[in-house]
Amino acid sequence: MFKIQKFSTLTAVALVATSLLAPMGAMAGDRPSELAPLGDPPNPASNPTTPEKVELGKMLFFDGRLSGNGTMGCVVCHLPDAGWDFPDKISMGYPGTVHWRNSQTIINSAYYDKLFWAGSSSSLEKQARSAARGGVAGNGEDDGLEARLAFVPEYVKRFNEVFGDTWPNVRNAYKAIAAFERTLVQTDTPFDNYMRGDDKALTKQQLAGLELFTGKANCSSCHNGALLTDQKYYNLGVPTYDGWQDDALAQITYRFEIYAKGVTEDKYRTYKEDPGLYFRTKETADLGKFRVPSLRYTKYTAPYMHNGMLETLEDVIDFYDAGGGTNDFSATKTDMIQPLGLSKKEKANLLAFLESLSGDRIEMDYPDLPPTEPLPAPTN
Amino acid sequence: MVSALAFSTMVALPSQAQEYSPIKQIEVKQELVDLGKRLFYDTRLSGDTGLACASCHQPDKAFTDGQALSDAYADTLHFRNVPTLANVGHRAAWFHDGRIGTNLNDVTRESITETYFMNMDMRIMQERLKQDPIYVDMFAKAGKGEPSNGGVRSAIEGFLKTVTSSGAPFDTGDMSDSAKAGFELFTGKAGCVACHSGDRFTDDQPHNIGVPENPDIWSDPDRHVTYVTYAKFQGVENYMNLRQDLGAYIRDHKEESKGKFMTPTLRELTYTAPYMHNGMIASLEEVIDFYNGGGGDAANKDQLLKPLDLSDEEKANLVAFLESLSGDSFDVPAYNPGEFDTEYTVITDWLNKKN
Repeated sequence: MFKIQKFSTLTAVALVATSLLAPMGAMAGDRPSELAPLGDPPNPASNPTTPEKVELGKMLFFDGRLSGNGTMGCVVCHLPDAGWDFPDKISMGYPGTVHWRNSQTIINSAYYDKLFWAGSSSSLEKQARSAARGGVAGNGEDDGLEARLAFVPEYVKRFNEVFGDTWPNVRNAYKAIAAFERTLVQTDTPFDNYMRGDDKALTKQQLAGLELFTGKANCSSCHNGALLTDQKYYNLGVPTYDGWQDDALAQITYRFEIYAKGVTEDKYRTYKEDPGLYFRTKETADLGKFRVPSLRYTKYTAPYMHNGMLETLEDVIDFYDAGGGTNDFSATKTDMIQPLGLSKKEKANLLAFLESLSGDRIEMDYPDLPPTEPLPAPTN
Repeated sequence: MVSALAFSTMVALPSQAQEYSPIKQIEVKQELVDLGKRLFYDTRLSGDTGLACASCHQPDKAFTDGQALSDAYADTLHFRNVPTLANVGHRAAWFHDGRIGTNLNDVTRESITETYFMNMDMRIMQERLKQDPIYVDMFAKAGKGEPSNGGVRSAIEGFLKTVTSSGAPFDTGDMSDSAKAGFELFTGKAGCVACHSGDRFTDDQPHNIGVPENPDIWSDPDRHVTYVTYAKFQGVENYMNLRQDLGAYIRDHKEESKGKFMTPTLRELTYTAPYMHNGMIASLEEVIDFYNGGGGDAANKDQLLKPLDLSDEEKANLVAFLESLSGDSFDVPAYNPGEFDTEYTVITDWLNKKN
């Protein structure tokens, strides 16, 4: 069971355990060098994690007042009971809209260098602000959101204690949310335990899957390191989101995104696919590329891929076994994806290994949110 | 014009006498007006599709909402009274504080995008409208190409320019004796015409007449929060400690501008109660009482305001005159398209159609 204040203690225990097990070097030598157990989440000097900040960030994460209409808090698209993401191909949009990409889990988001599917935010702090303000997400505006916080006496008190604010500064709200998100990590999966030396942490089937993962199936060429991602961008030929063909709201959002993110008029008129990384680089070679996601916690985060077009982990394995797919930007599809010729048994082994990358569900009760109240009498 | 001339022969006008005319209709291409009229009533122009322009500017109330203070976007409330849109194309500056002095195109942009009004990302709005074939057709007919942000602003501006008062007894010459006597007071003893001048009965300038603060702004956090958002954006100092609507101060940040609000038109008053920028005066009788008492209390109250010492009969005559400035309802097809479908149409054969 996840407990919010315990991250430092847990980490300390993990470190001790690792060092205690270090003498069993013969075992550690068996472990694939391209993979690693997940260590401490980052604690950036620009926004150090403190228990008080995390507690404030937790409230703000669940609070709809940090959105344009007062209901679209972070939690709406990152549901604790649904893997801390949204259980549909495409994330829920702001009322009157739909989103256009799959919602990603908050769990272990602390470790990414960049956030969002095309890496458009360089920190959790910036991601929180982008989401709170995006037209098909929070649709809020900093002045209005900051004003709302000032009318919650409990927030005024806590922002003062945590950040020294006289009145809550909305930029600090994003910092607090990021600090909270940095506690939503899972470092004790069966895979982690195995990598730290516990030979019994993985079943035989999972071990067979691990061998495929780093061998025949070649998954670890991109899904490597402690996070099981190289954090680079590839086009796998994931099929185009099918909702664009029959959902009017989805069609609206598609054109909005293409228009808002800035492409030439010719591309605005003719594109029917998500250009992904291209929005950031404007390099044709980056069309349709998306950041490799972590494979951790995926047991709970179906459906999969940037547009949710693969429903189950079985479907994901079948997709790779077939050498990926095709889409409008197939010219940029990576050569690393080739048909694998996996047997039914091998697929089952891979699936078993993937499941070892998730521990128990991280559950959390919604916090009681402090009320909005009239301002106290003016001080001057 | 004819009636005004006829009228001038009936009453002795004081020295500041002027000739009055009915409000002139501004000519706008009909297809643009039709487009603007539909947009004005369309909730898809707000972020969560909860509000249309017409939600607060209702045609049967001369495009006001009957409340002291307006509603605002979603869970918030506004801190001012909805101003009438009668003859709005003739104004020199818009909003009670006169913060927009350019044109109705900018007023439209402000109203659609402002977080506490319609909170709309106009890029989403543009794509929403492209998903309604009726708009695709109307924009083309209006000469605006495909639906666009600029086209929306232009069309709503066009529609608003056509909102013109007509049929007021003052214009048609059908004034009662009491109203005529009231007009004499208006231009004479009561001195109203000093600010309420011209065919729209406004000098288009801000004044402080000492209207009391509306306490509901400061006691209800859902309203106060809107004022804080506004004041912060306008660059007002110490906005968290304010408990006063600064009005036109936000235009020049000069001390003497505090509490000044644009002189409102007196046209269509019978449709637009309650009165003043914050709705603090419920009836025209009370408005007259307010001026008869020399206005309210304010440090920089306009020097023109003095107790008037009006008799009950004089007050009644003034009210009768004010009522004679209201004419035909705007709740007619020229200004109200009636209900229409706001569903979107799926674009079939999506992959082969140009966006």
